[in-house]
Amino acid sequence: MRYREYIRRKYLTIVGHVGTLLLGVALFLLLSLAALIQFPEELPHAPWFVVPALITAVIGAVFRLAGRSAGKMTLSLADGGIIVLLSWTLAMVLSALPFFLSGLLNYRNALFESVSGWTTTGLSVLNVETTPNIFLLWRSLMQFGGGAGLAIVMLSAIVGPHARGLYQAEGRTEQLLPNVKHSANVIIRIYVCYTALGAILYVVGGMSLFDAVNHSLCALSTGGFSTRVASIGYYDSPFVEVTTVVLMFLGATNFATHYVLLHGNHRAFFRNGEVRLAATLAIFFIPVILVAVALPLYSVEKALRVSLFEPVSALTTTGYTTVSYADWSDFGIACLLVLMLIGGGICSTAGGIKQYRVFLLLKSLAWEAKRYISPATAVHEHYIWRGESKFYVDSDHLKESGAYFFLYLCTYAIGVLILLACGYSLRDSLFEFASALGTVGLSVGITAPNAPALMLWTEMAGMFLGRLEFFVIIYSLISAARDIGSSLTSA
Amino acid sequence: MRVIIVGGEELVYFLGRLLISGGHSVSVISKNPEDCSEIVRQIKALVICGDGADPRRLEEAQAMRADAVIAVTPRDADNLAVCQIAKHRFEVPRTVALINDPDNETLFKDLGVTLVFNQTRMISSLIQQELSIEDIVNLLPIKEGKVIATEVRIRETHACAGKTLVEMALPKDTLLSVIIRGDSVIIPRGDTKLLADDTAVLISTPQAQGAALRKLTGE
Amino acid sequence: MFVVIIGCGRLGSRLAIEASKGGMNVVVVDKNKRAFDLLTAEFSGFQVVGDASNQEVLRSAKISDADIVAAVTDNDNVNLMVAQAAKHLFGVGKVLARVTDPLKAEIYAQLGLKVLCPATVAADAIGAEMLK
Repeated sequence: MRYREYIRRKYLTIVGHVGTLLLGVALFLLLSLAALIQFPEELPHAPWFVVPALITAVIGAVFRLAGRSAGKMTLSLADGGIIVLLSWTLAMVLSALPFFLSGLLNYRNALFESVSGWTTTGLSVLNVETTPNIFLLWRSLMQFGGGAGLAIVMLSAIVGPHARGLYQAEGRTEQLLPNVKHSANVIIRIYVCYTALGAILYVVGGMSLFDAVNHSLCALSTGGFSTRVASIGYYDSPFVEVTTVVLMFLGATNFATHYVLLHGNHRAFFRNGEVRLAATLAIFFIPVILVAVALPLYSVEKALRVSLFEPVSALTTTGYTTVSYADWSDFGIACLLVLMLIGGGICSTAGGIKQYRVFLLLKSLAWEAKRYISPATAVHEHYIWRGESKFYVDSDHLKESGAYFFLYLCTYAIGVLILLACGYSLRDSLFEFASALGTVGLSVGITAPNAPALMLWTEMAGMFLGRLEFFVIIYSLISAARDIGSSLTSA
Repeated sequence: MRVIIVGGEELVYFLGRLLISGGHSVSVISKNPEDCSEIVRQIKALVICGDGADPRRLEEAQAMRADAVIAVTPRDADNLAVCQIAKHRFEVPRTVALINDPDNETLFKDLGVTLVFNQTRMISSLIQQELSIEDIVNLLPIKEGKVIATEVRIRETHACAGKTLVEMALPKDTLLSVIIRGDSVIIPRGDTKLLADDTAVLISTPQAQGAALRKLTGE
Repeated sequence: MFVVIIGCGRLGSRLAIEASKGGMNVVVVDKNKRAFDLLTAEFSGFQVVGDASNQEVLRSAKISDADIVAAVTDNDNVNLMVAQAAKHLFGVGKVLARVTDPLKAEIYAQLGLKVLCPATVAADAIGAEMLK
C-alpha cells in the first residue's frame, strides 16, 4: 500500500509537468493565428486553432492541478524520460486536430503531418498549393518548436527541480552553461536570433514576408516544410539557396559548439570532432556528387548549385530540395542515403545517428589500433574535445554509442523491409525510410496522401523513434511498465 | 640555529643529519610512527609524531624558539599550511617549502613562504636543455634555482679542450668560475686554457645554462 | 551568479544541489569520480574530476570567472590552499573555506580569510540550545 501511494504520487508529479508543457503547446497553437494579420480572409479557419488550443489548455490545466495535489517530490533522470515521452505524444496528437477538424486531412494523415512537424522531418501528405496559409504557418511553428525541443522551450522559461532529466531525455547530452535553465535560455536565444536573421536574408533574397518566415523557421529547425510544392527549387535563386545552406548548417550544429564559437573560442571550434567530421563529409561528397551525378544531368551552373544544396540538405537532415531525384543515378541516391544516416550534430535540431556518435566510433577504431600496438600493460585514457574541455571517453560511453548505432541500423532494416512489403522498390524503400528515421524529409515521391496506411504508420514510428533517440522511449516504457506491474502486485 | 623539519621518510633523515652535522639543533614532525622511530634511532633530534600542519604539534616541536621551518611533505597544500602557520602563529622568521606543482611557486611566495623549492622545474629544465648529461658531474641550484652551478668534466672530444676562455666566448649570464686540474684549483682568467680531464664549474642562469654547456662540449 | 564548489562530499554535494536549484551556475570539483554519485537529479551543473590542489584543474573549472568559491573538501590544508589561490591568484570576490580544526581556523581568520569551522558552528548552536 505504501509503495502504491509512492507510485501514485510520482506519476501525479509527472502528469503535473506534462500539464505545464501542454499549456505551452496551447500557446503555440494560438501563435499560428498570427497568419491572420497578413491573410485576414482566412478568419473562418480560426476556430480550427482556437478549439484545439482550448482543449489543450484545459487538459494542461487539469494535469497541472493533479500534479499539485502530489506535493513536492524529487524525480529521477528516468522519470524525466517519461515526462518527455508523454508530452511529445500528447503534443503530436493535439497538434493534428487543426488539420483533422477542418476536414483538410483524415485522422491518419493529420497525425502524419503533425508527427512530421514536431520531429522536424518535413515529409508531407498535404497539398500546399490548396492549403490555407494559416495551416502552413502552423506546420512551420511545429517544426520550430520541435527543433528546439518542447522541454527546452519550457525549461528556458521555468526551471523545475528535475530540469536535467528533461534536458537529457530530449537528447541533449551537452550543456552550454553549468545550469540547465541558463543553458536552455542560451539555446533559445541563439535559435531565435538565427531564425530572425534567416527571415531577413530571405526577404532580401526576394521572398515574400510570409514565405521568408516559414522557410526560416523550417530551415533552422532542419525541418524542411515548404510553402511551395517545388520547395526551395521554386525560387530558383542562388542567393536563397546559399542562405538556406547556411541556415541548415547552423541548425545541424551542436548548440554547445555555437556557444563556443559565439564566444570567440575558434580553437575549441576547430578542435571539435563533429565540426571536423561534417567538414570532411562536405568536402568529400560535394565534389563526388558534382562529378558523378550533377554534371551529366544539369548545366554547369545548375550542377554546382545542386551538388552544394542536396548533400547539405541530407546531412543536416533538413529535407529541402531544389530538384527531383527521379532521374538521379543509384549512386547519387546512395550518397544522400549515407549522409542522411549520419545526420547532424548531437544537441542540435538535426536527426540521424548523429555526427558525434559516428566520430566517436571512428575514433575508437584508431584507439583500438593504438592499443593493439602498445604494450599490454600500457594504460590508455582517451579523450575527445567537447565544448571547451576534454571529455574522457570510458568504455561504457563507447558501448552506449555502439548500441545506439546498432539499434538504429536494426530499426532501419525493419522499416525498409516493411516498405518493401508494401510493394515499393528497394531504392525507394531504402531512401524513404532513411529519410523518415533520420527526420530528414527528402522524398523520392512515394510519401503521399493515398499511400498505404501501413507505410504511413511505419514512417510515423520511424520519425518518432528518430527524434527521441530510442533509448529514452525504451527506458521510459520499461520503467513505466515496471512501476505499473509492481504497484499491481504489491496491492 | 633551531630548525623544524616537517615530512617523512628518507628526505627528513638525510636533511636532519646534514643540519645536525652543521651544528644546528633539529626537531622533526612526521606523521608515520614507523618513520618517527626510525629517525629517532638515527639522529639526535626531537621527533614529534603527528600532523605538522597542526598548530599544537608545531608548538610541541618548539616552533616558538625555531629560526626556520622546512616543510618537505609530498603534498604542496600541507607544506603551505605548515609554513603559513609557523610564520603567522609562531612568527618563525624563515620558512621553506618543497613544491611539486610548478604553478604553485608564485602563489606560495605571495602567501609569505620565504623559500620555495621547485623540484619539478629543476629536473625538467635539465632534461629540456637536451644535454648529454653524462658529462655533468654535479649540479647545484643556488637561490631557489635562479642561479645554477654546474660541474662539468672536460673531455678531449669537447670543443673547448685546448682553448682559452677568450677563444671560447661563453654566452651572457654565464661565468666559468673554477677549474679543478688534478689536485690544484685554478681561478681562470681570459688566457687560461681548458685541458682534457679538467673539471670546470660553471655558474649560470637556468636560461643560459644550455647554451653555455653546448659551447663547452661542442654539441 | 557562478559558483565553484571544491569537494563533493556530504557538505559539498548539498551545497551544489541547493545552489543549482537556486538558479546559479555551478561547477563541482572532486578528485574522486564516484563522489558525484551524491548529486541528485536536481543538480544541473558541471562536474570536474581532478585534484583541486592542482592549479590546472582549478583553471579547467573556470575558477577565474567565479563569483563565489567554496572549498569544502575533507582536507583542511587543501581547502586553505585552494581558497587562498582563488583569492590571491584568480581574484575571486567571495571565498569560503571549511576548516575542521578550530585552532587552525582561528589562525587563518586572522589572515583575513573567510573560514568556517563546522565544530565551532555546531558547538555554538548546541550551546545556544542548552542555554535556552
